[in-house]
Amino acid sequence: MSYSTFNRKQFDSLQQPMFFGENVNVARYDQQKHPIFEKLIEKQLSFFWRPEEVDLSNDRKDFLKLEEHEQHIFLSNLKYQTLLDSVQGRSPNVALLPIVSLPELETWIETWSFSETIHSRSYTHIIRNIVNDPTKVFDDIVVNDEIAKRAISVSKYYDDLIELVNLYNTLGLGVHKVPDRGEVVVTMKTLKKALYLTIASVNVLEAIRFYVSFACSFAFAERTLMEGNAKIIKLIARDEALHLNGTQHMLNLMMSGRDDPEMAVIAQECQQDVINIFVEAAQQEKDWAQYLFKDGSMIGLNAQILGQYVEYITNVRMQAIGLETQFATKNNPIPWINAWLVSDNVQVAPQEAEISSYLVGQIDNDLDGADFDDFDL
Amino acid sequence: MTTLISKPEHQDREVHRVLLGKKQILVTEDEPLLPQLERAGVQVEYQCREGYCSSCMIKLLWGKVSYPVEPLAWVNSGYMLTCCAIVKSDIEIAML
Ligand code: FES
Ligand SMILES: [Fe+2]
Ligand SMILES: [Fe+2]
Repeated sequence: MSYSTFNRKQFDSLQQPMFFGENVNVARYDQQKHPIFEKLIEKQLSFFWRPEEVDLSNDRKDFLKLEEHEQHIFLSNLKYQTLLDSVQGRSPNVALLPIVSLPELETWIETWSFSETIHSRSYTHIIRNIVNDPTKVFDDIVVNDEIAKRAISVSKYYDDLIELVNLYNTLGLGVHKVPDRGEVVVTMKTLKKALYLTIASVNVLEAIRFYVSFACSFAFAERTLMEGNAKIIKLIARDEALHLNGTQHMLNLMMSGRDDPEMAVIAQECQQDVINIFVEAAQQEKDWAQYLFKDGSMIGLNAQILGQYVEYITNVRMQAIGLETQFATKNNPIPWINAWLVSDNVQVAPQEAEISSYLVGQIDNDLDGADFDDFDL
Repeated sequence: MTTLISKPEHQDREVHRVLLGKKQILVTEDEPLLPQLERAGVQVEYQCREGYCSSCMIKLLWGKVSYPVEPLAWVNSGYMLTCCAIVKSDIEIAML
């Protein structure tokens, strides 16, 4: 029931579920029910960066040289990302902190949200540097129809959950009459279902929706344009990979029943809803790609290729949470994007001749081949 | 069958076969599977290359792999992370 900022009860926090157990009391990290969230916190802290460290003076010159339809692509993506991070900079806190029951998860949520605020600040940094009047760009985010459509689908699940949890925290379980809204059923089941769908939709937001903009940013950078922007996007993408790890863990833990057996039942019941969330989002992102390229494509990218990439990445994300993949695209149509997405501190495998060819050649001769007659050697 | 080969300048090295559809790739335990697949011309998805983003996850149909460091990403049984798994026996894998 009513949320307490310091739960006075004595209980073993290792026995709590991730959500809807006791409100957290002592913020302690010496022991964790799910150590992954502590590891994510440490990793996220080690990733800390500040947008102002990235110099954008060349981007301003590049931007002025872009053709009009390319400027449209660039600014539209920036607006969309601004929307997504505006949502992500607050919603995990608002929606999840009132119901979280593990200290390490509570702090992960706060750390996660905080890193989103850095992303938002980086958009201001970029916009300020490339246009004379940032207000024009920001103001369009709330009135632009194409963006508004997306705003509804990214905030809907959060908003439903927040409404239910507010009712739960003030009125408790039951059927409540809400002005302008009618009767709202608040049961543990409706609450947990709303939570599960929210986490799924956040996973889609961070693991799929961002990737269309990422692809465009890196396509500019492939032409050595807007490289400061690409540097920032790289840092954002690195953070997002951690965030999607967090939601994948939450979903997988819920599905497995290891955290809260009731959640496993709900996950089972909601499986089709979750599949629909992924498929609908993929469609919206494909529509978005059409909108981006309505006045012309850019070198290396068009709406069709980007659409295939959306399908591909959606398959990859669905597989990661044990869902049947839904699209025919099984290969990455823009494999060059990965070299941009990879973190700087990790070396991409060089095409070094060293060991393998020599070694492999030698081994080939040793094969007796009997077991593998059908395979090309 | 896993083969042990001796070369003067190296210690004895385990070499394993990786089956992927009709293809066979020979790999060692010296580094994770991902760079070895790449050098063999197989395109594998990746992002972080250090075990936290799950992009490089593929199906492990049979065989043994191990992780020198426990990866941060969730790995369902029957799957493996190519960026950080060391192949420990002959294995068969499948992409998406
Ligand atoms: S590339 Fe990120 S987990 Fe393997
Ligand atoms: Fe973000
Ligand atoms: Fe995020």
